[in-house]
Amino acid sequence: MTVADERTTAPVTKTPPPVEPSRFSLKHPRSRIAWIRPAVWLPLVVMLVLLGGLWHWGAGQLPYLLPPLSDVGGSLSDELGYYVHNALVTLGEATAGLGMGFVGAFVLAVLTSELPLVRRAVMPIAVVLNVTPLVAIAPALVVAFGFGPMPKLIITGLICFFPILINTATGLRSVPQQVLQVYRTMDASRVELLWHVRVPNALPYLFAALRIVFPLSIIGAVVAEMSASGSTGGLGTAISVASSMNQLPVVYASILVLAVMGVLLLLAVTVVERHVLHWHDSTD
Amino acid sequence: MDGSVKVTGTPALELRSVRRVYGFGPAATTALDGVHLTVPSGRFVSLIGPSGCGKSTLLRLVAGLEQPDLGEVLVHGVTPAEACAAKMIGLVPQSPALLPWLSVLRNVTLPQKINRGAGKRRERIADFTERQTAVPDMKELLVKAGLGDALHKLPAQLSGGMRQRAAIVRAFGLRPDVLVMDEPFSALDEFTRESLQDQLLDLWEELRTTVLFVTHSVSEAVRLSDTVVVMAPNPGRIVESIDVDLPRPRGERLFGERRFHEYEDLVRERLRRAWHSEAA
Repeated sequence: MTVADERTTAPVTKTPPPVEPSRFSLKHPRSRIAWIRPAVWLPLVVMLVLLGGLWHWGAGQLPYLLPPLSDVGGSLSDELGYYVHNALVTLGEATAGLGMGFVGAFVLAVLTSELPLVRRAVMPIAVVLNVTPLVAIAPALVVAFGFGPMPKLIITGLICFFPILINTATGLRSVPQQVLQVYRTMDASRVELLWHVRVPNALPYLFAALRIVFPLSIIGAVVAEMSASGSTGGLGTAISVASSMNQLPVVYASILVLAVMGVLLLLAVTVVERHVLHWHDSTD
Repeated sequence: MDGSVKVTGTPALELRSVRRVYGFGPAATTALDGVHLTVPSGRFVSLIGPSGCGKSTLLRLVAGLEQPDLGEVLVHGVTPAEACAAKMIGLVPQSPALLPWLSVLRNVTLPQKINRGAGKRRERIADFTERQTAVPDMKELLVKAGLGDALHKLPAQLSGGMRQRAAIVRAFGLRPDVLVMDEPFSALDEFTRESLQDQLLDLWEELRTTVLFVTHSVSEAVRLSDTVVVMAPNPGRIVESIDVDLPRPRGERLFGERRFHEYEDLVRERLRRAWHSEAA
């Protein structure tokens, strides 16, 4: 089917032809096929072209504020290795910090939901920690742990910690009363209840947190790198070094790479979520 | 008043001068007071009465979800907690309470993975030999309940009636000695309700456990039960227990029979009397 007759024969409300779904996942035939239609992707493309034109015009007017897009692209292609290396450093910090935050938050969520005593002791502290701007803690952590990866992991971990803790704890405790009663009459142990009922019940809540926390982890890593000026690598370091030397194309190329990384991480969460939560309404 | 029936051997259920109070001081409400009830093994007993008569409280006491403030509750001669530990009790709550992430088949087989030590505890409890406790074929049971096409579907893909049937199969799958059901059909339309009553009776004819069934519906109580226990509020108590002497199986034909309606009228009259005695 060519693009031309697709445009003439496919109004937005038309359902896909009967053979089509078999080529795609049966669960989401509509949403995947939709991207073939110009009505779906054209607005975005037009908007991107417009923004690009606006940028180009602005770069001509204010060369000290905006680098021409061609320079940004040139910097990216000429020094691809540099960006990939730094992106991997930042990604490594972000995911390792996220991993630490995840494990800590998940374990604590289980403890708080099982033991009210722990909940009363820990939750107020967690709330205070959450409202404290972590950007303000970063320099102190650098003083304490130096320019190595440690302060970056701690900051990223802390940023990711709270959303996971709150959401998981809520999910673990929001099992309907009548479900709990059914399993209580079988004298299910706490571990059995946790494993078969509470943890699966918490998964939609956990994934909602992960969607927030994956992009946050990159913010955490970049903020940590910027606070520890003099770090050996990472896109945050690259940005602060380049901006101090007035290399605008490098700054914007790094920002672009960060944005792409964020999108890829979000995409990864979404793909995993669709597989794990196929039973849940949110994935329809 | 005494709701006892003559029995030989250990009764499936025994409540002796049970009292249950919610709250303290002047705000306290007596949900149940002076309740005696004895149910022989294998009987289908319905609890019926107006709201606030304590029928759900009584059911929760039997299921071990609450403790009496006074008196004693025994299930096959042991406490409800011990009975739960031996997986002798099957609960069908008002909502199906299925796990939305498991298929119907896995929902009804999950109980087998839970509390695996229950079998041995069950053997140690008296009159074990009378009861079959082999794990039934859950697929077969689901097919019998009309869920053969839905084995691998998720609960969200089923109608309300099918979900409730799955919940009933889950409870029967435990081969419980006592099945407690808390208004399981109250959220269903009348046609679905009647077909589910049929299926419940079919399963029960086959597996023959003791059933304690809470309901608001007089005709449901008469149709299903061997004994209808009429309760009254303030304080929650048993006012009468009526044995329903109608032949089984009780199919649709029953609705046309005079004796069926006589029992309905009798239960209604007792309910009304209980209501008036309270108002007076």
